[in-house]
Parts: sequence; C-alpha cells; structure tokens
Amino acid sequence: MAKIELVNITKRFGKFTALDNVNLEIKDNEFFVLFGPAGAGKTTLLNTVAGLVMPEEGVVKFNDEIMNKVDPSHRNVAMVFENYALYPNLTVYENIASPLRSPLYKKDDATIDKEVHRVAQILRIDHLLERLPSQLSNGQKQRVAIGRALVRNPNVFLMDEPIAHLDAKLRHHMRSELKEMQSSFNSTVIYVTHDFLEAVSLGDRIAIINEGKIIQVGTREEVYYTPCNEFVASLVGEPEINLVDGRLIADNGKYYVEVLQKGYMLPLPENSGIIKKLIDSGTTEYHIGFRPNNVKYTFEKKEGLLRGTVYSFESIGNKAVLIAKIGDQFLRMIAPNDLKVKLDQDVYVELPINRATFFNAQTTQFIGTSDEAAIYRLVQEQLSKGVQ
Amino acid sequence: MRRKRMINNAVKNGLLALYAIFALFPLFWMVLISFKSDAQMFNTTFFFDPTLENYEAVLLRTDYFKYFFDSVIVSVIAVLISVLAGVPAAYALARYDFKKKEDLAFTILSFRFAPEILVVLPLFMIYQKIGLYDTYFGLIWVYQLITMPLLIWVIRGYFEDISVEIEHAAMVDGYTWWQVFLKRLLPLIKPGLVSASLLAFIFAWNNFTFPLMLSGTKVETITVASLKYIASDTVHYGQMAVAATVSALPAVIFALLIQKHLVRGLSFGAVKG
Amino acid sequence: MAFKKKDAAKNDLNTVPWLTKARPYLIMAPSLLITIGILIPFAMAIYYSFTSYTFRLPTYKFIGLKNWINMFKDQAFWHAVWVTIRYAFFATVVEMGLGLGIALLLGNTENKFTKFLRVVLTFPLMVAPAIATIIWQLMTNNAVGILEKFLNLFGIYNFPWAASHKTAMFTAVLIDTWVYCPFVIILILAGIQSLPKSPFESAKIDGGSAWFNFRNLTLPMIKPCIYIALLFRLMASLQEFSIIFALTKGGPGDTLMNLSVTAYNTGFAFQKFSASLPYILVLWVIVNIAAKQIVKKWQYSQKVASGRNVAEGGKS
Repeated sequence: MAKIELVNITKRFGKFTALDNVNLEIKDNEFFVLFGPAGAGKTTLLNTVAGLVMPEEGVVKFNDEIMNKVDPSHRNVAMVFENYALYPNLTVYENIASPLRSPLYKKDDATIDKEVHRVAQILRIDHLLERLPSQLSNGQKQRVAIGRALVRNPNVFLMDEPIAHLDAKLRHHMRSELKEMQSSFNSTVIYVTHDFLEAVSLGDRIAIINEGKIIQVGTREEVYYTPCNEFVASLVGEPEINLVDGRLIADNGKYYVEVLQKGYMLPLPENSGIIKKLIDSGTTEYHIGFRPNNVKYTFEKKEGLLRGTVYSFESIGNKAVLIAKIGDQFLRMIAPNDLKVKLDQDVYVELPINRATFFNAQTTQFIGTSDEAAIYRLVQEQLSKGVQ
Repeated sequence: MRRKRMINNAVKNGLLALYAIFALFPLFWMVLISFKSDAQMFNTTFFFDPTLENYEAVLLRTDYFKYFFDSVIVSVIAVLISVLAGVPAAYALARYDFKKKEDLAFTILSFRFAPEILVVLPLFMIYQKIGLYDTYFGLIWVYQLITMPLLIWVIRGYFEDISVEIEHAAMVDGYTWWQVFLKRLLPLIKPGLVSASLLAFIFAWNNFTFPLMLSGTKVETITVASLKYIASDTVHYGQMAVAATVSALPAVIFALLIQKHLVRGLSFGAVKG
Repeated sequence: MAFKKKDAAKNDLNTVPWLTKARPYLIMAPSLLITIGILIPFAMAIYYSFTSYTFRLPTYKFIGLKNWINMFKDQAFWHAVWVTIRYAFFATVVEMGLGLGIALLLGNTENKFTKFLRVVLTFPLMVAPAIATIIWQLMTNNAVGILEKFLNLFGIYNFPWAASHKTAMFTAVLIDTWVYCPFVIILILAGIQSLPKSPFESAKIDGGSAWFNFRNLTLPMIKPCIYIALLFRLMASLQEFSIIFALTKGGPGDTLMNLSVTAYNTGFAFQKFSASLPYILVLWVIVNIAAKQIVKKWQYSQKVASGRNVAEGGKS
C-alpha cells in the first residue's frame, strides 16, 4: 500500500520520446487506470514505476521516498504482464509461489502452501496447480499471472492489459471478476488498458495518455462529461461522440448555435452557465459534441428537426447504431435492434442542445458543457471528497 | 497415375538407399574388420571367425588408453571452460546493446574460420618459449578457438528465444540479476546448452592440427595417435581398424544424443532447427 | 512539488548505477580474455613474416618484404594456390550438389526409412577427418581393402587411389565428401522442414508443376540455408589440412600441396618458419574475401525469403 508519484518523468529510447514530462499522483489504495491508444507509452510508464527502466529526467516516489536508484526487486511491486511472462519450466503452483521463494520476500513452506491455495481458489485455478504453462489456455495463463501478483503484499499492483488477449466473452467475465476483486484488493493498483469499457468500469480515476503525454486525469464522470479536449471526448464513449460544426449567434439577447445547415438554429438554455463560457471563450466557431445515446430521431416529419437520410444501420449486440447523413456530416445514434429501416430513408433528428459539450473549433480545447445536471453531480462528488 | 507414383517412389528410395550405403558402409566395414584376425585378413571378405585379438593388441598392449585419456582431458576441460566463460558472453550479446556489439560478435565468430595453420605456426613458436608446448594447458587454451565461438553463437540464439519479460517478472518477484540468471534463465537454456556442449566436445575430440603440432609425446590425443597405427605397422590392418573404431565411437554416441539441436549447433545458430 | 531539472543532475538521480552499465562488459570479459590471448600469435605471424626467423637459429634479422617476394616468385606458391582453389571448388560443388539432392529427396518423403536415414547419415560427420582418411585408406588398400575387392569384380586391379597424381585429388575430394556431405544435407533439410505449408497448398490449387514449385517457392525460401552451408564448406575446404596430411602429406609429389600443407612443410619440415607465414596469410585473405561475399548474399537471401525486400525499406 503506497502513494505513488511520478514527477516530471521523461523517458527516451534513442530519438524516440516514450514519456514526455509525465506528472501523476496516485493515491494510496486507489484503483488508478491508465488509458490510451496503442503506443501511447502505457507499458513504459509501468516499467518506470517498477524500476525496469530508468527515466532520463524526473523521479518516481513511493510514499514520498525517491525510488530512482532502487532496483525492481527491492521496490516491492507486483506486476501482471500483458503476455503473462510465466516461467515455462515451472508448474502453476511454482509460478505462483515464485515471489514467496525469492530471497527478498521469502516465506516458509507452510505459508507458501496456504497462500498459493488461497489465491488459486479465488481465481478458480486450484485444479490446475500441477500443470505447466504450455498446457494452459490463454484465460488460465492470465489468471496464473494475476495469481503470482496476488500472493504478494506489495506497495502497488501494476497490471498491463491483463485481459487484452482473451476472447470477448472471457474478457467480459474477467472484467466483473476484477471489479469484485478491486474492492477487496486493499492496495494501490495501476491498471493499463486501451479498452474504454474496462477503464470506466474499473477505475476510481482515469489518466488519459497519448504519445507519451498525460492529456487528462479524472473520474469516469469527469472524463465523460468534461473531457478536456476533442481527443479525450472521442476516446471515451461507445459509440464515438458526434462532433458537429457550430457557430454562436446572438439575437436580441437570446443566444443560439447554428449547426449543420445554414439557418438551423438551436436555442441555448436561457441564463445557463454555458452561455457565459462561450462568450468568454473568445471565439464563435465550435465543434459541438453530442453523445449518440442522447440524439433522438423519428421517421415522421416534424417541425424544428433536422432532415437527413439513413446512411447505415448496424447491430452492436443488444442495441444498434443508426448513422444518419445530413449534408456531408454524419450523426451516430443508438437504436433498438429490431428497428425496421431502409437505407436512404428519410429520418428526422433532434440534437439535445441541453446535453452538449462545446469545444473550441481551432484549438479543440474544452469550453464547457450545457449538461447542468452532470455539472451538479460532479461538483457534489468533489465536495464529498474534500477537494476544493 | 498410381503406377507413375509408385515408380517415382521406388526411384527415390533407391537413390536414398545408394547414398545410405555410401555413408554407412565404410563404418560398418571398419567395425567388421576390427574383429578379423591377421591370418584371415587377406583371403576372406565378409565371412570369417571373429576374434578379439586386435582389441587386445591395441587396447592392452599399447598406450592406447593413454591417448584416449589425453583426448578426454583436453576435450572435456576445453568445453567446460568455454561454457563457463561463453554462456555469460552469449547472454551479453543477446540482451545488451552496446557499441561495437555486432563487430565483437563477428570477430568471435571469425576465430572459427581462421585457418588452423595460421594460428598453429606462430603458436608453436610462442608455446616453446613460454613452456606451453606439449602441455594440457597449452592445448586446452588453443582449443578455445574451436569451442568458444560455437558455444557463444549457439547459446546466444537460445537466449534470444527467451522473452525478456520473463527476466522482468523474476526481478519484480524479488530476484537480483544474478539470481535471475542462475535460477530462471539457465534452466531454460539447459537442453540447448547440453547439445551445444556435446557438439563442441565432438569438434574438440576430432581435432587433428592442434595436437599434431602443439604437442608431442607427453600429451597425445587419439586422432594424432591413430596415425601412428598406419605409419608403423602396415601389416596389422585389424589393429588399425580398432584404433579407428574406438576413436570414432564417443563422437557417434554423442551425436545420437543431440539430434534435436544438431542443426542449430552446426550452423552456429544461423539456422534454427 | 516540481522537481527542478538542475537538481536532478546535481543529485545524479537519473544515471543508471555503474554496475548495471558495466555489466555487459564485465560478463564478456572472461571470454574475451581467453580468445584475445590467442590473437597474439596472429599478430606475431604478421611480424615474423617480415623476418628471417627459423627454428634452428636463435637470432633473426628484419628482412622486410624478402619472404613475401620470394614466395610470389616461387613456382610452388602458385601451384599451391591452384591446388587450394581446385580442391575447394571440387569438394564444395560435389557436396553442395549431392547434399541438395539428398536433402530434397529426404524432405519430401516421410516414412520409417527416411526417419532412420536422417539420424544415421550424421555419423560420417562425427568421425574425425583424419580417422575417416584412415578408414578409406583401409578400404582402398590394394591388399585387403573391400573397395579393391569390389573393383576386382569389374576387372579393375590395383586402382591407385591416392598413390597416383591422376587420382589423388579425386580420392581426397571423395573422403571430404563422405565426411562433410551430411553437414550440407542436415542444414538444407532443416530449411526444407521449416517451410510454411500455405504457399505450397495454394500452388497446388493453382496447378503448378513440380519444377515451378521448386524454382519459385522452395528455392528462394531455403536459399539462406544453402548460403550458410556454402559458407561453412567453402571456408573449410579452402583450408583443409587433416585429410590431405593424413592421406599423403601433400603427395604424390606435390599433387595435393595446397596452401595449408605447403605452409606446414615450409615451416616444420624445412624449418623455414618465417618463409611459411606469407603462405598462410595469403590463404587467410582469400578465405576472408570469399566469406564476405557469401555473407552478403546470405543476408540478402534472408530478407527475400521472409518477404522483407530491401527495396521496400526493410520494415516488415
């Protein structure tokens, strides 16, 4: 159990900068998720915390103590590797027992036996203890890798995409297993993933990382409702957020945004905080974000709605994604699976302007959101955590 | 169509059989006549009364066991030293990236390709001066030119096959670098190491040039000594056959043990069997 | 909270510990010490080739290029070069050709016989070349040799084998082939056995002939193995000493006097140590040049075989 800090960490491999001035503070006992696309630097960051690589600049601290010069074996971290890294010549039992046989974390045989069986039971691999890694399926290997970490009582658990190589069903199952374990972990966890669903379901806080830089750190609500830029907004959310061009129009003290078609104006809610933010932003050109599950549609012509044509209709499991083409832009919406729809059919779309996210069209930075309810919830959350 | 394939197969098998005879018959015949007495040497071919008198003559009444023993000492210790110094070097070449790494690796490899004569003539002179001529130490040291490059290059390949994450996992588990090397890595390369060592042993055992020129009477290996059996007594063909058979025996036995890793060893890791 | 970069440099927190940095050099040290020790004679060889050192006289003087000039003027030297090239050429060509053929036969058929054969045909390779020479001398012995008796059946008596300058080269190459052909077979066989199945399966569907398959599918993919085998065999046969020495010591006359044996004779038999060194140095240069050419071809063939073409920039 420890508080982990990365201060001004920069890591270069030759000319390539893998981590660029990374600053993170991970609280004690926090389940912290590191989320970003492939190649963002997530594994390098974990390796830096573990001491497997030395950063060119910056320090790593455990509970305020600088760990740069401490080698991995002495840092007391437990790591689950993306490719499991099981010892091929040892049985599952010995793989899990391995840390407890090391000179640094040695335990007596009786304790080892107890711990290995305890962990094996939790992970439901106690019937596999005498097998070799080559005789295991991917899902079983992954659980052995987790088990090898669980027998420890480390400063921090480092997990590198531990369920990335499992099929969808097993991944879903392990996600809920990990969620259950999370509450009983009682330890600091840094969890790396490129899967959005994993990130939001497991993390107390999420750090978004791209090209070696930390873009945003926040709770799942924060990154979802107040993403700091368009990149984060697109990354967080399934299906991807709709971003449409918009312009601020002032008319007789009332404010509108003109979107998608010339002359199509959506009124901004009166006396809402968003209007002030938009005026203060210094620009009137925006990219406005509408989440697909908030966009409404109908096939009956209705006044005040945007007209478009059905571009595609695709099932994604228990619901479907309907894409409408309006002019040369596309809008994604959620629809039920059994919807009877023909391609190129007329469809009428309602954009929920009171649950929109506004970005500066030029800088892609976040300006504000019109979702007052969400803002209220976020403020309550922060107050309850004692953050000002 | 079927007839064509049958003829095809017959021809293939026939050609293979021809080569098999070419490859194996000499060995078979050599063993055969080692059991043939001098009296029956000239007038019989395949059918005769087998006898052990040649074996008695060579093994018991000459210094053959001394030569065998000298070969064993020199070959075994040479391989041992190459293993002790070569395995860490192989690891360094496999894992670390340092300046001139590939240059260094190819230099080590080029020792294997250097003409033995090139090394031997000057070495002969130096060894005389520093007293290493005709000594075990002298031969063992020069044998490193044969055994060390082989071991380093082949073991390097085996290390490269192990994912580096396994080392990371062991370090995180609480093992220091040396413990990772000894407890986690070495067991994984053990089969390859054994095979490479046996192959290196075979090469050392079979070497002719070095013992011929760098040792004389105190240290005499079996390959050089066997030549004596031709030069001196050209009449005792059976004894010559015994000398040849016994000296070829260890190598052939070891060859059977390392079949699986033979390709890697022979090609110095360039071809993965 | 911000940690100034200046402080980091002062406190030395981002430098890897000395032991870790030095580790590769430290663990390579023993092997380097052992092998470098042997490099010294090589350096000495170059030095002594410029002197008049013999074993008999303890003193010698620096005579510059005299040894080298004498060598290049000596007919025996050029004869040695010719013998070296001829021997290496015949041995390599025969071994590569025969080895390729046998490997192809073994690679395409899978039965108990081929499995057995793959194991036992390594035996000749395990025999010391000097011992192999003894075996063949026994077999071809005019009095008791089995080959002699075999040839007698065809009316050939007293075939000279290594005794005649007409057949000595043939005999030596024969022994070389017997010992080393399995080497080529094993290597190429490994290449054939590691070929992916799918290109051949689709070729079968497309209906290509056996020759087409061989030329366009098999051959390019096993070229790396072929080049490795070629490299090893050529290097070795250029310097072959044991077989020739054990067979005839270079004779009859000077038929088999390649550079290695000539150097040995000059150095040991004639006691003209320094005069023998240029011979070997020339040999070493020949070997190196040939090796570099083949290694280049090998590296290229590897890229082609795995589909990474040099022209495309190298990334797979």
